[in-house]
Amino acid sequence: MLEGIPILTLLILLPLIGAIVTLLSGKDPKVAKSLALVFSGITLIVSLVLLLSFNLSAGGIFGQNYQFTEQYQWAKSLGISWIVGVDGISAPMVFLTALLCFLAILFSWDVKDRTKQYMGLMLVLEVGVMGVFMSLDYFMFYVFWEIVLIPMFFLIGIWGGPRREYAAIKFFIYTHIASLVMLLAIFAMYFQANLGTFDMRAIQAAGSLFPNGFQMGIFLALFFGFGVKMPIVPFHTWLPDAHVEAPTAGSVLLAGLLLKMGAYGIIRIAMPTLPQGASGWQWLLLCIAILSILYGAFASLAQKDLKKMVAFSSISHMGMVLLGLATLGTIGIAAGSFQMFSHGLITAVLFMVCGVVQHKAGTREMTKLGGLAAKAPWLATFMMIGFMASLGLPGLVGFAAEFTIFFATWQTWNYLLLIPIISVAITAAYYIWAMQRTIFGPLTDKIDVSHLRDVNWFEAAPLAALCAAIILFGLYPSLIFDFMRPAASGLAGLLGVI
Amino acid sequence: MVYAEYAWLIPILPIIGLLLVALLGKKTPEGGGYFAVGGIAASCFLGVMVALEYLTGGSSEPVSGTMTWLQLNSTLKLEMGYYIDSLSAVMLIVVTILCTLILVYSLGYMHEEGERKRRYYVEISLFVVGMEGLVVASNYLEMFVFWEIMGLCSYLLIGFWYYKPSAAAAAKKAFLVTRIGDILFMIGIISIFASFGTLNYRDLFTHNFIAQPVDMTLLGVGLFCVFGGAVGKSAQFPLHDWLPDAMEGPTTVSALIHAATMVKAGVYLVARSFPLMVHTPDVLLIVAAIGGFTALFAATMALNNPNIKRVLAYSTISQLGYMFLALGAGGYMIATANLSEAAAEMGNAGYMAGMFHLLNHAFFKALLFLSAGAVIHAVHTEDMRLMGGLSKKLKITSFVMLIGALSIAGIPPLSGFWSKDEVLAAVYNAGSANIWFYLLYIMGIVTAFLTAFYMFRLWFMTFKGEGKEATQHAHEAPRSMTVPLIILAIFAFGTGFILMGPDGGLPAVIRTVNLDGHLIAGETLGLGWIEKLFTEWQTWLSIVVAFSGVGLAYMAYFKKSISVDRFATGGSKKVYDLLLARYGFPRAYDWVGMKVVYGFSRAIDFFDRTVIDGVVNVISRFAVSGSGVLRKVQTGVVQTYAIVIVSALSVILILMYLLGGLR
Amino acid sequence: MIPQEYFLALASILFVIGAYGVLTRKNAIVVLMCIELMLNAANINFVTFAAFRNDPTGQVFALFSIAIAAAEVAVGLAILLNLQKTQDTINLEDIKLLRW
Repeated sequence: MLEGIPILTLLILLPLIGAIVTLLSGKDPKVAKSLALVFSGITLIVSLVLLLSFNLSAGGIFGQNYQFTEQYQWAKSLGISWIVGVDGISAPMVFLTALLCFLAILFSWDVKDRTKQYMGLMLVLEVGVMGVFMSLDYFMFYVFWEIVLIPMFFLIGIWGGPRREYAAIKFFIYTHIASLVMLLAIFAMYFQANLGTFDMRAIQAAGSLFPNGFQMGIFLALFFGFGVKMPIVPFHTWLPDAHVEAPTAGSVLLAGLLLKMGAYGIIRIAMPTLPQGASGWQWLLLCIAILSILYGAFASLAQKDLKKMVAFSSISHMGMVLLGLATLGTIGIAAGSFQMFSHGLITAVLFMVCGVVQHKAGTREMTKLGGLAAKAPWLATFMMIGFMASLGLPGLVGFAAEFTIFFATWQTWNYLLLIPIISVAITAAYYIWAMQRTIFGPLTDKIDVSHLRDVNWFEAAPLAALCAAIILFGLYPSLIFDFMRPAASGLAGLLGVI
Repeated sequence: MVYAEYAWLIPILPIIGLLLVALLGKKTPEGGGYFAVGGIAASCFLGVMVALEYLTGGSSEPVSGTMTWLQLNSTLKLEMGYYIDSLSAVMLIVVTILCTLILVYSLGYMHEEGERKRRYYVEISLFVVGMEGLVVASNYLEMFVFWEIMGLCSYLLIGFWYYKPSAAAAAKKAFLVTRIGDILFMIGIISIFASFGTLNYRDLFTHNFIAQPVDMTLLGVGLFCVFGGAVGKSAQFPLHDWLPDAMEGPTTVSALIHAATMVKAGVYLVARSFPLMVHTPDVLLIVAAIGGFTALFAATMALNNPNIKRVLAYSTISQLGYMFLALGAGGYMIATANLSEAAAEMGNAGYMAGMFHLLNHAFFKALLFLSAGAVIHAVHTEDMRLMGGLSKKLKITSFVMLIGALSIAGIPPLSGFWSKDEVLAAVYNAGSANIWFYLLYIMGIVTAFLTAFYMFRLWFMTFKGEGKEATQHAHEAPRSMTVPLIILAIFAFGTGFILMGPDGGLPAVIRTVNLDGHLIAGETLGLGWIEKLFTEWQTWLSIVVAFSGVGLAYMAYFKKSISVDRFATGGSKKVYDLLLARYGFPRAYDWVGMKVVYGFSRAIDFFDRTVIDGVVNVISRFAVSGSGVLRKVQTGVVQTYAIVIVSALSVILILMYLLGGLR
Repeated sequence: MIPQEYFLALASILFVIGAYGVLTRKNAIVVLMCIELMLNAANINFVTFAAFRNDPTGQVFALFSIAIAAAEVAVGLAILLNLQKTQDTINLEDIKLLRW
């Protein structure tokens, strides 16, 4: 049905055209908003078509069998081409990207300051993330990877909170240094393979023959490059600052998509290209994963700012992704990928809820809040669903991911599971405590609550859509997991673990 | 099997009610409560039909059906489905009937809650979904899913009056303490899954341990963790302290969730895991020990508590301990009997006793809670010191509560007598397998005495004596509340007789497995039970103990011939205060939570801000100040630059010449 | 015939004198003149090699460079004139607005 339609290129071009059109539109912010919404909406529909027409039964070697592949020569002498394609890991991420961008744009309906530029930057961001998830050429991959940084820098730097400049520059420099390390590693692989092409598939095919020492070194460099983005402890401190200062929609995309790029890079590039590096550094992946999980959880518990708490919880949950990947087995990798997807949905809800609280109550300090459920029952409901999903309540999407990751961990290391599983209790503690302090208890008298209202329609709609997705994929996770399992088993095969 | 194949519908029906409440609740009377009752009544009908059909069908083969929920890799998969055997059939009857009765009672009890009623009915319907789903679940994971849904509803309903700080705190405590058990349960599930490659009861319970041996240490750890889940959910020592606080919720919630159904889920879980647990006697010994200790431990805290609901909460913890004690004792007998028929039969009696007590307790404790609810409804306080003389004003309530109290105290021929006696007999018998069970038996006897005493203390304090200010305007509850009370009273009076039902009664249907996986038949004595029981000295001992407990309460709180005030002063004051302080457990929980965990997290946060972020900031400051030094090189004088260029060029050229680059 | 080395030696001496002037003199006009010296040293080299190797390319290059030198002097003097107008000096040590 989709023969001959360059659907993936379309998915990159649509938001790009949208961004240009939005930026060129007139002075009326309504027009800019509507244009951005329409273009991201079309992108969402196209990505849904992609997801539905994806062939789930197609198997094959990981990293060689992509669907909807397109290839155009770009700079022949340097071996750079425009190659895009998706497999079971990236197809759901493409869908997630389109979904979150659409909802984030809808959620920012009341942005008043420089609306046109804001909406344009959101669409540029979508272009970058889409490109990262579907590029099969290192050069393109790097270009898109860097494209993502720029709109996010401006989103934080212009529309952010009081310390926005500090946060934006910290975010930019931190992640940029990581990108440079990654770039060096990519060059190293390019020259080591000596094929005269930046095609990921070709370099991956050559990769398993790289000498062991080279694999170990380059894997470490790539792990650093991607890990900072995830982020891994101890290279995480850009994240809380960036989140606290970023506008809500920026946080949604930052946590929902940008963090996933790091984990995706490990799955797509580091592990399949350097399998010996992956198995050699397995202990390091495990240690960092456990460290991130527990460190993030404990740090969340100490926070008084609702948004900072959620930011730290992201570190903990991305550590869970890494824990799944570190098992190097089918279940672990599939579960880690599924956790990426589920965390994308959940964290979007969490940041939107923080945004609503900030918006309505004027503060996110939990010591000043309390009893909001009486005034804003829908806000309380959404917060409850988001928190419950994030703490792994069965029936919601977080549980399926968490349970399978823990199972994979037990399969690989047995009793070692007892360490990361502590985080489940801590996670429950900070969420439940946060709810007690914000939405339950007597109505606060520390802030003026006389004008406190419940969520607006443009806030309720994205929240409701995300909660519906959380429940849907929680009740029947196979809808997404079945995409990831074949790919994960292919990757596990490459790594020599079944 | 007409109905059984539709067992999966049982938890679905309340969902329909739930959705109707959510959508139409604002426009219909009672906040849509009738929809909730309708959905639950429908599932009750189906549940009872399924159970009766199965129990009278004569087949011992379980009925089950599954579908794939999550395919993990080429061999492992997680499933969802239904599984009906005699255990789940009996549970289904108990759970669905109780849910329906308590929901009907809610219509009256929650009448004055206004807008909040809709939320109440949504949450309680979801709870019923969880409980019924847990009973019909076909595997451990599915059970865990519903188990957690119940936990969520328990959390929400304890915090129903969320604007009260005490309710919000109690809800938090309930969630977090049970969560610790849930984590253990999850570890247990994962370990069982890893050992057996499946979580389906049908496959697990027919597993051939000889043909496919599994690591017994690992299995023991796994089952211990599963029991950890039960400890959390059923509020056993040391995770018991959330249940008294949970009384902050509406009384219907306390009756349904925290007495009749959810806290029984832990017992059900252990009973469910019996076919696996009989392979690990050590775990069963732990089950029995925890149960026996908790029974006594919780009963002591009920002795002097002034809050009517909390007394009932401690009593619930204590009675749940009895059930674990019976299950542990029975299982231990089977586990150590080594295929001996007689010992296995005795063990089966313990299993049966545990379930029997579960069934009876569900009814009489629900009755007691709902009666207490009617009292609270009438006097608007939970403090028994402000009550008294209510039996004249609340005639029905005082009478049905008396039946409940007699039943739990173990006065023949009410239901509690039969099951408590069976429990104690099973524990005594297990003493022949392990001497420790004699100690547990003594603890059980002491508990029985204490139970009779505190229940009648409660009854006398509430209904007898002189009326107080709070009781002036008390009036009997509306009919939607009294009718369920009367029905429950009939159950509480009569459920004990199913021990000697026409076809062998309960022992004929509740059967467990031997070590080789074969079902063990129970003793189906019929009316012979009466002869058997009343010829044993243990029975007479427990009757004497029960009557003396009642008598002591009568003297202390009705005749006042024994002054109880002196325990609150002098040397025994310490004990008195210790009991009121619940042995310091709330403080210990707070200490662990606030000082240890929160303190540690504060330390992490401090470390994060100063050390890790500090290093980052130092590096950036180093870059900034370094550039401040280095930029001085840019003097702006063109000739300086030129000199540098020329000299550098010269040096390079000379070097190239010397190193041979120019040749 | 005069040997090639003499021409080259002359060019080297001129170049070094020019370079010394560029690096040390304060007056911008002198510096400009010294640059001319250096250019002419290069031109001598071009012509020399062209003559001795019978290759006219060098002479063409010399012509080019003379033309460019003329343009360069024009631009340079114009800059210096403007400097004098706006800054009141053509002393190179005083013209350092572009430092850190």
